[in-house]
Amino acid sequence: MNKLLFLALGAACGTAWAQTPATNPMPDGSRDMYVGLGVQSAPRWDGTGSRKVSALPVLQVQWSNGLFISGMSAGMHLTDSPTFEYGPLVAVQPGRDETGTGQTVDGASSWGTTLIGPVPDPIDKRHMVATRLEGMDKIGARLQGGVFANYYLTPQWRLTSSVLYGAGNDHDGARLDLGVQRLAFELGSQHRVSVSAGVSIVNRNYNQTYFGVSREEASRSRFSYYEAGGGLQEAHVGVRWNWALSPSWMLTSNLQAKGLLGNAAKSPLVERSTNLTVSTAFAYRF
Amino acid sequence: MRASRQLIAAFVSLLAAAPAVVQAQAQAGEWVSYRDAYRAMVQFEKYGGPKNLLQSQLQVQSRDHAGLGEGAQLTLTGKTTQLNLPLDALGRTVFPLTKAAYDENAALVLNRKGMPFVLRPQVTIAPRADGQYDAADLRTACAQALGFVRYVDASQRARQCVGVRFVFPRKGSTETAGARLRHAEGGEQALPVTSGAAFTGDPDEGFPIVTWRFATAPGRAQVVTYNAPLAIVPIFE
Repeated sequence: MNKLLFLALGAACGTAWAQTPATNPMPDGSRDMYVGLGVQSAPRWDGTGSRKVSALPVLQVQWSNGLFISGMSAGMHLTDSPTFEYGPLVAVQPGRDETGTGQTVDGASSWGTTLIGPVPDPIDKRHMVATRLEGMDKIGARLQGGVFANYYLTPQWRLTSSVLYGAGNDHDGARLDLGVQRLAFELGSQHRVSVSAGVSIVNRNYNQTYFGVSREEASRSRFSYYEAGGGLQEAHVGVRWNWALSPSWMLTSNLQAKGLLGNAAKSPLVERSTNLTVSTAFAYRF
Repeated sequence: MRASRQLIAAFVSLLAAAPAVVQAQAQAGEWVSYRDAYRAMVQFEKYGGPKNLLQSQLQVQSRDHAGLGEGAQLTLTGKTTQLNLPLDALGRTVFPLTKAAYDENAALVLNRKGMPFVLRPQVTIAPRADGQYDAADLRTACAQALGFVRYVDASQRARQCVGVRFVFPRKGSTETAGARLRHAEGGEQALPVTSGAAFTGDPDEGFPIVTWRFATAPGRAQVVTYNAPLAIVPIFE
């Protein structure tokens, strides 16, 4: 029962890389769904030291035909092999405005509930000049399309990969995520901990959108002109703790550390290259 | 900032309520999600390779390795589902694959309060009613089991079948828990009975077992058990 009780529960906001839950064979016509709500503390945008606390909706659904929604990602398992997973993947890349990332999570609204999405931030903006992206172009939330492929070295260790295209205002940002996951250490009878690590490689358009500063933006913002090239963008490690309170209720908590690399780390938008995201949420299993 | 603080405060109050949920559940007995067990157990059903000589069962083990004791029973409990699953001497039961229990998000509850447990799928060689096993059949069955293990675990591809282990009930004398090897030319040889665990990693090493390694009888032969074994476990190395 190597994959027993493993859950890759998706967090709907502030997650940059796509998530693909493990293949979940089930009776025809059935589905396995988690819905929840919690809180998250995350940087306002990649590379800033300014943080925000927001509501964190949680959604993960898997259907018997292989379709899944996991946080901001959706896709389909095209195989039920226990050692190899692959299929198409779409993911919503949160937009960014002068107050930071995630204020316009368009993909979230498609789930049809007003509970989903960050809580409006009432911080007094007169004192926030140094922590804002004033003068920078607004980047719209984007639906990216691509594929994923995961390979299990053992039932506990999984290599993950995904390629997504379509980020940025010009829909031309591409991103390759490569990672490794250790699934579900059992700590006590109802506690499961999984760990992950990975890197992200992006094209020039992607980096220029999120870390570049155009001449127009430089002229109207506090940031200097910067042209960001592609390449290795970030490395991240994470740990997720799932506490099953009952067959239906779960407390899921996540800690992610991300280090920006290469051209992204050198961007004038980046005040600190390492960021931490912490979240915890209650989820109900339907 | 006030909204953020209120948000955190509201969540902390929810967190404080969590232990009450756990306490209420603990009083009902330890449990494992049926859906999670289903995910592991259905792999054998979906496996398309040869498996006609195999059987798949769900094994219950106490997490603290203390043993389940007499009368242990697993119950599948859902809104409309209530199914008792008696456990054999090795803590195994046939796992029911039911859509109703899955859709109800049923739980598997052990009738041992305060005894955390884990569930493991165990694939073994199906016993024969006559107790006579051709060596060729045992080799084929072991190969089938290895094929399934390789299907679910890519790291097992380098392993090979080397034999089988007959596990007998603990009750009775070691004379009744045993087997003999019958050679094609007619000679017979008693196989030694030792004490050990039924499955690799099992904490209980007190079962009478007979291990027969294929290399000891490369030609035609037959293993004949004196009494029905609890399990016939393929051995990979």
